[in-house]
Amino acid sequence: MSPLLDVRDLTVRFPMPKPSLFAPRPHLEAVRQISFTLEPGRALGIVGESGSGKTTAAMATIRLTEASGGEVHFDGVDLLKLSPEKMRMRRRDIQLIFQDPYSSLNPRTRVNDIVREPMDLMEVGTPAERRERVVEYFRLVGLRPDQLDLFPHQFSGGQRQRISIARALTTDPKLLVCDEPVSALDVAIQAQILNLLARLKDELGLSYLFISHDLGVVRHVCDDVAVMYLGKIVEHAPRAALFDAPQHPYTQALISAAPSLARRKSKGYVRPLKVSGDPPSPINPPPGCAFAERCPRAQPLCREVQPELEPVGGSLAACHFPGPDEALRDAS
Amino acid sequence: MTALLEIEDLRVTFNTRHGQVTALDSVSLHVNEGETLGVVGESGCGKSITALSVMGLIPSPPGRIAGGEIRLDGENLVGASDKRLRRLRGAEAAMIFQEPMTSLNPVFTVGEQIAEAIMLHQKVSHDRAFRDAIELLDRVGIPSPESRARDYPHQLSGGMRQRVMIAMAVSCRPRVLIADEPTTALDVTVQAQIFDLLNEIQRDFGAAIVLITHDMGAISEMADRVAVMYAGRVIEEASADNVLDHPLHPYARGLIDCIPALGREETDLKEIPGVVPPLHLLGEGCAFADRCAHCEPRCLREKPRLVTHGNHPAAHPAACHGVEEGRI
Repeated sequence: MSPLLDVRDLTVRFPMPKPSLFAPRPHLEAVRQISFTLEPGRALGIVGESGSGKTTAAMATIRLTEASGGEVHFDGVDLLKLSPEKMRMRRRDIQLIFQDPYSSLNPRTRVNDIVREPMDLMEVGTPAERRERVVEYFRLVGLRPDQLDLFPHQFSGGQRQRISIARALTTDPKLLVCDEPVSALDVAIQAQILNLLARLKDELGLSYLFISHDLGVVRHVCDDVAVMYLGKIVEHAPRAALFDAPQHPYTQALISAAPSLARRKSKGYVRPLKVSGDPPSPINPPPGCAFAERCPRAQPLCREVQPELEPVGGSLAACHFPGPDEALRDAS
Repeated sequence: MTALLEIEDLRVTFNTRHGQVTALDSVSLHVNEGETLGVVGESGCGKSITALSVMGLIPSPPGRIAGGEIRLDGENLVGASDKRLRRLRGAEAAMIFQEPMTSLNPVFTVGEQIAEAIMLHQKVSHDRAFRDAIELLDRVGIPSPESRARDYPHQLSGGMRQRVMIAMAVSCRPRVLIADEPTTALDVTVQAQIFDLLNEIQRDFGAAIVLITHDMGAISEMADRVAVMYAGRVIEEASADNVLDHPLHPYARGLIDCIPALGREETDLKEIPGVVPPLHLLGEGCAFADRCAHCEPRCLREKPRLVTHGNHPAAHPAACHGVEEGRI
């Protein structure tokens, strides 16, 4: 099967202010030559800490941030080479759900109009059909049609996220980009939205590019996971391989840091793997592995040569010394 | 063992445009020395109001402590003078807030802000206080503390700012440390660092910690005892193991089942339908009734009381008619 999305060597750099008149202009390397593919009907999770470039990578993929290099083949067409008008018409296949359901809905517009607007802009169907579809999708995401004339502030956070999802679905997209869709919601509400997203994926055959910093959430929704660190993918694997046998020490550290019900204070739990400090600056990133400064396995080689993504175990990992971690395995 | 901090039948009301609402309704909690109490619930359940009441920081008006006692080492803080509260705040009980971005003053260096807290409670010179501040920054794991002490908050990352907040909170060796969602704005790796640091500080100083969170995973790693709150009441209370392994109240079960935790196999998350009801719409019965799968007519009529039902070894206080009748 040909992939829905095939991203090759995607790079995003932001120019920074010059330190002085004659100095060379520094660049912030937000995304550094990443490649990945997404098959139709699957969900790819992109995880990483803040500043790892996960949102920028997704936004550059769908051309909401300008890429400085690379190719993005969507359904066989390179999105980065399309004219603005052609790109605009393609957008009906690609929709987006934002993190903050409070600021991503226009407070002065009734939700009926909010949900209908993408169809108006894309000229989908007749006005009567559009009205019908709004009602249909409103039901599909679990809202009542009698709420259509209300304003966003009359809904709770979870309901607003449902409105965002309905709005994203009205143009029959193939790809849904979810940018931290549940991190602004309460835990009990998170489960409602995650179950809804999982159900919609199966019913409508959607593909997701799912950005999150929460490994538990990604594990629940995604089929494949890419872990990003300082603008690069450091490990890319199917869900089971990534969570059961992570190869990259950074993935292992992330899993070890995520809270889990199995780790009890009463049983004297002590975190086996500790990562100290913060990631290095993306302005002039280090020549070698970006994780070397925080890595327990780092050798002189790691600081000099950048590792490439290579198959290890069931994963692709960018590490000179990949492999399972003994301490992590003993603890679990 | 006598409890260091004891809250008994605390009732806090707020005047709102919907009339007077009860934000906390007969809340009773206690924390012993060297112990961590986890307070868990969704937003709007009264967790933060409980913390603010202890610190004497309920905005008044519109808020008012309408009844009950808060005893710190036997001394009742409800009705204590402002002067007395100012003495205790910071010295005996300190708080770490959720937002390290907004709780530091942007126009003073972080060293200066920690030194200020020290000088408020101890008779020391400015130089000495600033040296102590540097030592504290070192203690909470900030690299090159001498130069970092001269940095302004905006020059530090989120995790570092939260460390500064913790340094400030422990500067006078408080006996009770209240951490109100201390890691919500932070990455998981930094959250792990902050949790480890809080545990270390507890070992070294023997402080009692009240950890407020909505994350049962955090409870599992940090807490000795847990109180689950819903709509201004404590609905279940027991040791962390007891609550996590044998939750009684349907809400407590829901909170545990709905997290997409690692190391858990099922693919479908159990959701809790609906949302926390607004306080002015609380009726006669159980506040959780309209979200509860086990709701019966009695639940709509009568508020359940927080008592232990049955004599099972894992039995513990839960406010639920279903548990009392053995239905759940």
